Amino acid sequence: MKQLTEDQLQELAQDLNTIRDDVLADLGERDANYIRRVIRLHRALEVGGRVMMPFGFIPPVFVAATFSLGLSKIIENMEIGHNVMHGQYDWMNDPSLHSQTYEWDTACSSDSWRRTHNYEHHTYTNIIGKDRDYGYALLRLSDDEKWHPAHILQFFNYILLSVFFQWGVSLHELEFERIRSREIRLRDKLPFLRDFVRKGGRQAFKDYVFFPLVTLPVAPIVLAGNLSANLMRNLWSSTVIFCGHFTQDAETFEAKDCENESKGHWYLRQLTGSSNFTGSKWVHLLSGHLSYQIEHHVFPDLPAHRYPEISEKVQAVCRKHGIGYNTGSFKHQYASVVKRILTYSLPDRLRMKLTSQPA
Amino acid sequence: MLAKNTQTKALHWLGKQLFNRNDPAAFFDPLLEQISPMLVQGHTPARIEQVIQETPDTRTFVLKPVARWAGFQAGQHINISVEVNGVLRSRTFSLSSSPELWAQQGLVTLTIKRLPGGLVTNWLHDKLGCGTVIGLGEAFGDFLLPQPPHPVLFIAGGSGITPVLSHLETMVAQDFRAPVTLLYFVRTHKDIIAAEQLKALESRYGALTLSIIATDESDKPRYLKSQDLEAVPGLKARQIFLCGPMGLMDLANELLRKQGVREQDIHSTFFSTAAPALSADLENQALGGKVQFEKSNLQASSEGDASLLEIAEASGLRPRHGCRMGICHQCSCRKTSGTVINRLTGQTSGPGEESVQLCISIPHGPVTIDV
Repeated sequence: MKQLTEDQLQELAQDLNTIRDDVLADLGERDANYIRRVIRLHRALEVGGRVMMPFGFIPPVFVAATFSLGLSKIIENMEIGHNVMHGQYDWMNDPSLHSQTYEWDTACSSDSWRRTHNYEHHTYTNIIGKDRDYGYALLRLSDDEKWHPAHILQFFNYILLSVFFQWGVSLHELEFERIRSREIRLRDKLPFLRDFVRKGGRQAFKDYVFFPLVTLPVAPIVLAGNLSANLMRNLWSSTVIFCGHFTQDAETFEAKDCENESKGHWYLRQLTGSSNFTGSKWVHLLSGHLSYQIEHHVFPDLPAHRYPEISEKVQAVCRKHGIGYNTGSFKHQYASVVKRILTYSLPDRLRMKLTSQPA
Repeated sequence: MLAKNTQTKALHWLGKQLFNRNDPAAFFDPLLEQISPMLVQGHTPARIEQVIQETPDTRTFVLKPVARWAGFQAGQHINISVEVNGVLRSRTFSLSSSPELWAQQGLVTLTIKRLPGGLVTNWLHDKLGCGTVIGLGEAFGDFLLPQPPHPVLFIAGGSGITPVLSHLETMVAQDFRAPVTLLYFVRTHKDIIAAEQLKALESRYGALTLSIIATDESDKPRYLKSQDLEAVPGLKARQIFLCGPMGLMDLANELLRKQGVREQDIHSTFFSTAAPALSADLENQALGGKVQFEKSNLQASSEGDASLLEIAEASGLRPRHGCRMGICHQCSCRKTSGTVINRLTGQTSGPGEESVQLCISIPHGPVTIDV
């Protein structure tokens, strides 16, 4: 990790705080109109998808309905749910857009998400052992973790995780790896499990029982469409999230380096531990602007549609302090994620040999 | 009835499962609002039907709420919510019309004075025209007429006349048979709110004795004095209703006590002016204050720059929190009244109900928190 003196860190914090203050001072109708427009788009897509789905026996309608519903789930999870829960729109004082009461359209309960993501992941970003989002306790993505023969199959695990991503995320707080190692008992997790059954059950009931049943003659079509829409959202959100922290150059940190850290050090960790990808306006919308993962990690509670506008300024701050700004095309960033998952599945000696060879 | 009730309950449960929210009916609001703002289910919409200029700085807004609004009793107030530059602001105002008008024509009126520097009242005056739709809350408050009828004295100042107008209209409509006196203090005669309505009430309603007193029209200010009260026949037997600026309320309370009026016969209602805009400089401000934790029914007070989270924890509460540095919003909750200062920005919040982050909010005077 790039080393800066405390004075330099303080200057870094000041530079970034200035960017943040400028946006905060300017928040208003434009931001409210933006999120309301996105919400209208979400409602229209969801209503459209649900209404078209029973007519899915006509193949093009099936495709349209599935895409409509899948897109609605992607937009709701990424641009609305994730961002609202970060408190990006709390200033609007609108009870239906409040970070602590918003419930999103996925198996993971919002309460669990706020604990594991907003608090743990955003506070301890990429600290091995403290940020359980790093590899989801399933994948080995840096040599801070010792290699184990089971890691050979981790690409297969990655595919499984992506396909069932909403269930993986919803079970994240179970901390299964710590139960297996007897560090904690299953009994400690009973309140969490109750919450998981309630929310996961609600989601499964809605998509896999209720809507197929009310359209009984075409139930298999509706079930297939709903499954596909959920799969579409699972694959996309998993891909976006993996591109945010597991690209080749995204850094990891040790817990001892982060004890009693200053705000400047926290900023530095967010800048070097995250990675962006470029794309069109739609790519950014569908990724909830997590394509601007660096900006998001530095300013998690600024409305996400502002990230493209402040990106230039953040890059200028990085240049000034000699800090890398990890960005690239979606294809390039994703390829480097896949490469990272594959190379760290190998024993260290073999990995060293392969990666030290000239290309 | 029972069957219908179970049916509604079942529908509500189903809606919660399908739309992931406790107010499932509001799920379609973003689309319905595009068709007509009066179709919104999440709050009670009310359309402005007419705007009446009462004085140079006071207007009466005639509103038509949707039929599901539950109505009110004379003297009660309501919260209205409007969006000012993207932020939903809610403020409390007294209704100035009678419940009869609502029952017969489905209309209510709010009489609102433009407060110097007031964010919402100025917005209401500048932006609210016929056809605009605002959000309405249910009525509340216990500034209510005595039942059965009993002699009454109203002492009102400035725009504090609004709940009294509602009372008087109701008294006429119900033929309230007891002596009623109104002492109405205004700065100058130009500032009389609802002057014609008051005149009409006086002529229509024999029981009413009206005296309007201008405070600023002579060399020396003419405030409420003992003689005003002595001139009211049977003062001690009356129920007394006070509504006006702080100075008038204090003076009235003091003089009434001297006349031997019992405390339980005096009813006052809130009357607030916008808090003056404070400088953002943290060091120069008196920080701390009494904090009321509403849900836990606990009170604490603080001095200096202790955050609400620290104060809550010191009082033995364990509100949900996370990073303690203003990042994660785990500790965001609702402030129902009072002013706080944001530790990171040094900015002072508004006085109304809004969401605050406990870990970086420092009380600035008395604060009530929904914890």
